[in-house]
Parts: sequence; C-alpha cells; structure tokens
Amino acid sequence: MQGTSLHKTTEVVLSRAIANRLGTLRFRLVLAMIVAYLAMMAFLIHSARHATQTAVVASDSSPAMVALASCMAFSVILTGLFVLARHGD
Amino acid sequence: MRIPRNCMLLLVTVSTFGTGGSAYSAQSGSQIHQAELSTIVFFVVFAALTLLISFWAARRATSSSEYLTAGSSISSGQNGLAIAGDYMSAGAFLGLSGAIYASGLDGMFLAASYLASWPIVLFLVAEPLRRLGKYSFADVLTHKLRERPIRILAGTSTIIIVSFYLVAQMVGAGELISLLFGIGYGPAVIMVGLLMIVFSTLGGMRAATWVQIIKAILMIGGSAMIATLVLVRFGFNMSDLFKAAASNHPNGSKIMDIRGFAQDAVATLSLGVGVLFGTAGLPHILMRFFTVSDERAARVSVFYATCLIGLFFAMLFIIGYGSIALLRGDATYANASGALFGGNNLAPIHLARAVGGSILAGFISAVAFATILAVVSGLLIAGASSAANDLVVGLSGRQLDERLRLRISRSAAMVLGVLAILLGLACEGQNVAYLLALATAIAASANFPLLLLAIYWDGLTTRGAVVGGTFGPYLVGCFHGNGANCLVKGTGSWSRNLSVRLAGTVHGAPCAVCLLAGIDRQG
Repeated sequence: MQGTSLHKTTEVVLSRAIANRLGTLRFRLVLAMIVAYLAMMAFLIHSARHATQTAVVASDSSPAMVALASCMAFSVILTGLFVLARHGD
Repeated sequence: MRIPRNCMLLLVTVSTFGTGGSAYSAQSGSQIHQAELSTIVFFVVFAALTLLISFWAARRATSSSEYLTAGSSISSGQNGLAIAGDYMSAGAFLGLSGAIYASGLDGMFLAASYLASWPIVLFLVAEPLRRLGKYSFADVLTHKLRERPIRILAGTSTIIIVSFYLVAQMVGAGELISLLFGIGYGPAVIMVGLLMIVFSTLGGMRAATWVQIIKAILMIGGSAMIATLVLVRFGFNMSDLFKAAASNHPNGSKIMDIRGFAQDAVATLSLGVGVLFGTAGLPHILMRFFTVSDERAARVSVFYATCLIGLFFAMLFIIGYGSIALLRGDATYANASGALFGGNNLAPIHLARAVGGSILAGFISAVAFATILAVVSGLLIAGASSAANDLVVGLSGRQLDERLRLRISRSAAMVLGVLAILLGLACEGQNVAYLLALATAIAASANFPLLLLAIYWDGLTTRGAVVGGTFGPYLVGCFHGNGANCLVKGTGSWSRNLSVRLAGTVHGAPCAVCLLAGIDRQG
C-alpha cells in the first residue's frame, strides 16, 4: 500500500519536474528564435544600407542569402530539438 | 435525400469543367493547343479525385466533430503534410515565385519569415490548443473568460481573416484558370468558387485534409522536378544560375540582396513581427491542431510541417532565380519590359513549360489549381466552424446540439463560399502575396495576443480581452488604409507597399497586448 503511494508520489514529482523543465526550455527556445530572427533582419537592413561596401559578385551567394538560409535552418533545428526533448506524455 | 443532391452537385461541377474545356478548344495554335490539352487532362483527373474524396468523406461526416475536425483521428504525419499543404498555397507558390522574379531576394525574405513563425506556433500554442480546444481557438479563451463576448470577438476576427485569405486565393485562382482555359477572370473565379463550395460543404475537414496531403506530395514532387530541371540546365552550378539571373534582370547583381524591404527599418520590423506571430493566429492553421488525437501528435506534426515547408521554400528559391535566368528576355513568356504574360505570379508555370515542356506545365497548373481548391476548402471549414461555434453561440447565447451545429456549419461554408466569389471578383488585379500578408497582420494583432495571454496569464479578464482584441486590429486597419492609398495611386514598389501596409502590426499587436494587460490591472 505504502509502496504504491510512494510510487504515485514519485510519478507526480517527476511529471511536475518535466513540466517545469519544459516550461523553461519553451521560454528559452522562443527567445532564441525571436533573437535569431531579429538579428537576421538587422543584418539584412544593415547590409542593404551599406550596399557599396558589401557589394557581391553576381556569381556568389550573397551575405543576405546566407543570413536568410541560416535563419530558415535555425527554425527547423529548433523545432526538431523541442520535439526530441523528453515531454513525459 | 443525400445521394440525389450529391449527384446534382457532381453534374454541376462536371458541366462547369466542360464549359472550361470547350472555351479552351476554341483557341488556335498547335503548341498552345497541346499544352492546354494536357492541362485539361490533369485538371479533370484532379477534380474527379477531389470530388471522389469529398463524397467518401461526406458519408462519414454525420456529426459536427467529424465534419469540422475529422473526429480528431488524423495522424501526426498526415497532419504535418496537411499543415505544410496549407502553407504551400497558391499565394506562396505563385506569389513568392512571382516576387522573386520581380525583385530577387526580397521574395525570399517573406519565405524565411513564414518559416520562422513555425517554432513560435510549436512552443507557444500547438499543445495548449490541442489540450483545451475542440472546434476553434475561442474554446481556449472561454476556459478563463465569459463566453458570449469572447465568442463574438473571436468569431468576428476569424471571419475577417478567413475572408482576406479567401480573397487572396480566389484572385490567384482567377488569374490561373483564366490563363489556362482561355476564359475570362470572372467565369474562372465563379468556376473555382462553385467547386470549392461543393467540396467543402460535402466533405468537411477529412476531405480537406486528404486533398491537402495529396496536393502537398504532388506540390513538393512538382517543385522538385522544376528545380532539378533548372539546375540541370546550369550543370548543377548555382553560381552559373545566379550569373545568368543577374545578367537578365535590370537590377543586375542587386537581385542577390534585400532591397525593397530594407528601405524603411520600422516597416520591415513590422512585417517581421506580423509574419512571425501572425501564423499563430491564423484560424485555418489553428484548426489543424484539433484534427489530431493528442498533444504529442500536435507537436510532431509541426515538426514534419516545418521540415516540408523549409524544403518547399528552398525549391521556390531555385524556381524564382531560375525563372529570372530562363524566362526574362524570352519573347515566348515575357514582354520587352520583362513582365510575364498573364502576370509575374505565373512564373513557376511558365518555367515548368520552359524546362519540362507542356506536360510538366499542365501538371504544375493542375497542382496549383488543386492547391487553391484545398486551401480554400480548409479556410471555408475554419470559417464555418467559427461561425457555428463562436458567432452563433455568442449571439444566441445558447449551446447548439450536434445536428444543428452540423447544419449551421454547412450553411456557413456555403455562405462564405459565395462571399469569396464576390470578393474575388471585386479584387481583380491585387497582389496575391500582399493579401496573404494583410490577413497575417490582422491575425498577429487580434487572435495571437488573445490566445497567448489566455494560455499563459492568469490575470486576463473579459473586458481587457474585448478592448485589446478590438483595438489592435483597428490600428492595423488604419495603417493598412494608409498603405492602400499608395497601392491605388500606384506609387512605390510592391515590397514597399507591403511594408507600409504591415506597419500597423508593429503598433497594433503591442497595443493590443498593453490594452489587455492595462485594463486587466484596473479590473
């Protein structure tokens, strides 16, 4: 009887710990995504305004392209990380 | 009773296609004739397939939960494909490719913004929605707030967003069908609208989901085929592709950089905020989380969708630059100023013809058509769900039984379909990508702040939600009105106009949140 109760208590504590950890992870990932996106945007605006200094050769991929591709890849990676995290459900 | 009505609707649909086919056959020119014939064959196959799916689903759609959410029996993989299908809309496929064709990398900025919005959806709203909601996002809000005013507010904003989105799709459909069948814009919109009404009213969410799944697979396959054929032309050398594109475009190597969006930092920031948070407020996207069984399935489906959408946008990048490299300067597809025949939004279809011949062009045209049909059906069902569960319940103040809810949902789908046809006819010539962004901006400043605070803040009150949820979109509307003047006068580039129109979001969304919070503190 006591063993079963202890087991249930342990389960509750574990699920709460997972929920708290996930809440923190969720918050950090949202912040990471927003910061990454804003950084990409700031870079694009900056590079566009200083076009003469950052002019690219037509045959190369431009810094703006790299910034966009990085942001897109980061979105996919963050999503994957969150899905792979242990959720307890 | 159901069988004869279905048969009648089928006859109407088939006769509509027949009209389109005979309108086409009056055209001359052997090459065009061959191309259009293959297009018509693909069209008829897809239309027959979608109708079969809708009749199959109609037999099962005997309850409102089956009609509106497919009985929450869709798997995570299927839902991921369906969500991706929602994003691979005509607006994205035709609009973004057209934007890249017109001004280079500016179009990809929108694509990156749309993709970046998916982690936000996953981290903040996907699981709570599945846990607390049943038919619409208002179900989540009413867990904490008074039901009637909140349902009226949520229903109104949903109908507005769905209407804008529908207009974008209908405009794309009108342009596409009128070009391919050689009929006028008006008859084309009416034809697509009728099919959409038949499909949505009968099949419901299960039919819409399966058509989205099939369409998503075909769309990814078709895009991959065009992208591969473009790369084959350039020996799989991206540098050669960029070089050819830069030499063909009047802006030269500037097409490799963001230009239009970077002119006004505040407007660009506003665009980013609008797109980043807008996805988490789009009703037809939120509806998808009610079709899966649990939170885990909701989570995994977003991951699948994000991967597929990323892949799709990567292929759009190649298609966009490929169209600049191969179509500009070719008198078969573009005039002397570089504008494509039928509009720049038809860049991927012209490119398919250029690299893969008439068969591939016909296939891509039919996929684009299926895309429009699938997306508008999902939109209609989202609108119908909100009309039945939010507006009617909110206005009448009483809960609906299953049969009445189902009947109202189907009627609402029909009314919204007619509205979409009328708005599509009225908005001829508008930029498809802009209309999508407009809907997203309203979603970001109306639905998303409400949903976020309802899920994560215990202090939210009904009064705060109603005032904040109304004032945010109002501000967006004011700024969009300003931007609309630019468009009507024909001043500025499309990206500039888009940014100005979205400038309201950067003010509207935080104002909505502040109002929600401020009034709640006083309350």
